Amino acid sequence: MGRFILRRFAMLIPVLVGVSLTAFLILHLAPGDPARLMAGVEASQEDVDMLRHKFGLDRPLPVQYAMFVKGLVTGELMSLRFESPAMEIILPKLKNTLILACASIVVAVVLGVTAGVLSATHRKSWIDYAATILSLFGISMPVFWWGLLLMLLFSVKLMWLPSGGMGTFRHIILPAVVLGTASTGIIARMTRSSMLDVLRQDYITTAAAKGLTRRLVVNRHALRNALIPTVTVVGLQFGQLLAGAVLTETVFTWPGIGRLLVTSILARDLPVVQAALVIIALLFVFVNLAVDILYAVLDPRIRYNG
Amino acid sequence: MKSRFRIVMLCAFVLVFAALPAFAAGTVLKIGQGAEPVELDPQNITDNPSEEVCHNIYEGLVGFDVKDDKLVVAPRLADTWEVTPDGKTWTFHLKKGVVFHSGAPFDAAAVKKNFDRLIGGNYKRTSLFKPILSEVKVVDPQTVQFVLSQSFGPFIHTMCHTAGLVIDPTLIDAKAEIKKNPSGTGPFKFVSWQKGDNITLMAFDKYREGKPKVDTAVFMTIPDDNARTMQLETGELDIAERIATFEVERLKSDTNIKLTIQPGMRVMYVAINALHPILKDPNVRRAFNYAVDRDAICKSIMKGFARPIDSPMAFAVNGYAPVKGYAYDPARAKALLAESGWKDSDGDKILDKDGKKLEVTFWSPSGRYPMDYKVAEAIQAYLKAVGADVKLSTMDWAAFLSESARKPDENKSQMLLMGWSPSTGDADWVLRPMFHTNQWVPGGNNRSFYSNAEADKFIDIGMVENDPAKRIEAYTKAQEIIVGEAAWITLYVLDNVNGRRANIEGLIESPLELLFIKNVVKK
Repeated sequence: MGRFILRRFAMLIPVLVGVSLTAFLILHLAPGDPARLMAGVEASQEDVDMLRHKFGLDRPLPVQYAMFVKGLVTGELMSLRFESPAMEIILPKLKNTLILACASIVVAVVLGVTAGVLSATHRKSWIDYAATILSLFGISMPVFWWGLLLMLLFSVKLMWLPSGGMGTFRHIILPAVVLGTASTGIIARMTRSSMLDVLRQDYITTAAAKGLTRRLVVNRHALRNALIPTVTVVGLQFGQLLAGAVLTETVFTWPGIGRLLVTSILARDLPVVQAALVIIALLFVFVNLAVDILYAVLDPRIRYNG
Repeated sequence: MKSRFRIVMLCAFVLVFAALPAFAAGTVLKIGQGAEPVELDPQNITDNPSEEVCHNIYEGLVGFDVKDDKLVVAPRLADTWEVTPDGKTWTFHLKKGVVFHSGAPFDAAAVKKNFDRLIGGNYKRTSLFKPILSEVKVVDPQTVQFVLSQSFGPFIHTMCHTAGLVIDPTLIDAKAEIKKNPSGTGPFKFVSWQKGDNITLMAFDKYREGKPKVDTAVFMTIPDDNARTMQLETGELDIAERIATFEVERLKSDTNIKLTIQPGMRVMYVAINALHPILKDPNVRRAFNYAVDRDAICKSIMKGFARPIDSPMAFAVNGYAPVKGYAYDPARAKALLAESGWKDSDGDKILDKDGKKLEVTFWSPSGRYPMDYKVAEAIQAYLKAVGADVKLSTMDWAAFLSESARKPDENKSQMLLMGWSPSTGDADWVLRPMFHTNQWVPGGNNRSFYSNAEADKFIDIGMVENDPAKRIEAYTKAQEIIVGEAAWITLYVLDNVNGRRANIEGLIESPLELLFIKNVVKK
């Protein structure tokens, strides 16, 4: 297991170099001058040149890339827009997005697994049909519209929940539900199909023949095995949530990394965008590693040797 | 397995809730801004949200009062001021007994320290004062003199600019990070900044006009128009800036909300490249002006929240003159084009001349200004109706700014949809950067490469003249020439629409898109 983890960590290096280089090149090849944007519409050429020199934007591209990597490693990378260390800007936002993503995944796992299990154990009943329809509804619902709809109902009409911002537990409910809606549907569909597969296995029939209650058969024997593909989906979904929280964060004014990325791209704050992308890639890799490790926890037959 | 699963879920819950920050309580005024401020050093900012927060923390020697939607220069930290007949020396007599948030006294030395920092440094607003300001002299603790390198007519208006706000000199001495820890003499003290979320200010109990009536002011960043409006409706916000026009009718029926609709300072226009082989002909430019129905655009697309204008500067700008423009007249447009030799020789409804089609490209931003791309589409259709084939394209703002600011020989722009709001509130900061020959991009902001020696002469007179009447006269003549030659298709002035809860009183709303909250009472 140890060597497996080490090998996965070693694979991080080419991934991070690839991500940072691609982000750097795309951003620098895109039209738009960060210095002109920072200086503002009213600025003179003198102002623009001053800023370009101040931030090293007039230096050759390889030098700028080397400056970026050095800044990232030493933590001295500076945001062009805020003229502050990029990490000071990114890390609090990353924490906020992680909070939102964790809350969403909790919502998605609890609702999705429950719906999937109920759907599989009550196959072709109204419960199954209802769960299937709701899952498809969740998967196909555009986040922006769904968010505004829930906000209208729970914030404007009923006034039960705040419509945006971050602060108390009540603030996280709506964005977590909205962000987790699509994942709920996907997890429900995956749990249902893998549960159906497992419920057809001989050992389930054996367990039932031994006289175990239906509940014990489902919870102890079927669910554990059915959860393995679900865990894969949860891992992938978590990565998606990190990168895909932009719309939810915008609708609910949640100060996360998705919103930061969009505003930084529009403002051509290159160091922040590049660093944020590297961090998201890093997280994605870690989450996938965690999923692989979780397989071994869920299924004792899976062992990572050498 | 079940217990492990429960542990994983429990960990996720703990992570979620442990990380949620505590939220400030108490009597607060919450203002929803459409974009996040960049920093709070008034000498180094160019964005509106930062300027607004700064104006509630700092004060300048003079500032703008708003009377009948017009900007009027009024005393702030200076009681009175005078200028020598040669226009080169301005003397300001300062108010006594004013203190900064740190407790440091406000005096002439503090003013000198601020302007020395600005013109001696590399700040984003250095170029506003550096070319004109030679020296700041302390005459006595209550008197300060600004010595200019030449007479500068808009000097007093420039002093009202955000860059003229006075920073606590103890911060300058300590080389503190002013952008993150501001201190001025204004009505509110800085408390904290949760990046991406809010800036919290606290009432300054030693403010020279008395402690503000609200204890805490929170400027919230809420970029989404819908979300900002909803938070106003639910009462989570007391004030919401820049209400989207399509929300106005709905909000008007809500008795808990009051709206202010006021003409702003931003004029929207189409800059026409005067170096382009087709567009250098003033007749073609005049024809394009006659071809566009601005009233219809204001009514149908802008839903009445924009006002057609002929001058390139807004009604509230010092120096605005109601010059004669171009009323919608497509027949006149066609006649002017025919006069210039454009006719439809092959019957394809696109005019041509000497074997060349009347084809132009038109760049418009999308989402930078209200309804910008829709307006550009309407203009495209209007021009097509008189025989011009207009190729419309959009690009993001960063690319738009860079591409339109290239040197004349590299510049591919032909027509551009843009807006301009002069931050000094004076005609100089419209006519000089937009139309003076020595202000062509990339050196200046003249993106239409317009050039007229006579207009330059009047713009220069306005810049150096200190007699307000003579300035107005010069600017009126400059506007007549510029509009007469149809340097732009001048479209309209955008309205500023802000919403507030009905229990909020005393809010000062400036046409410069700034809110002043010092007199706000939350009933």
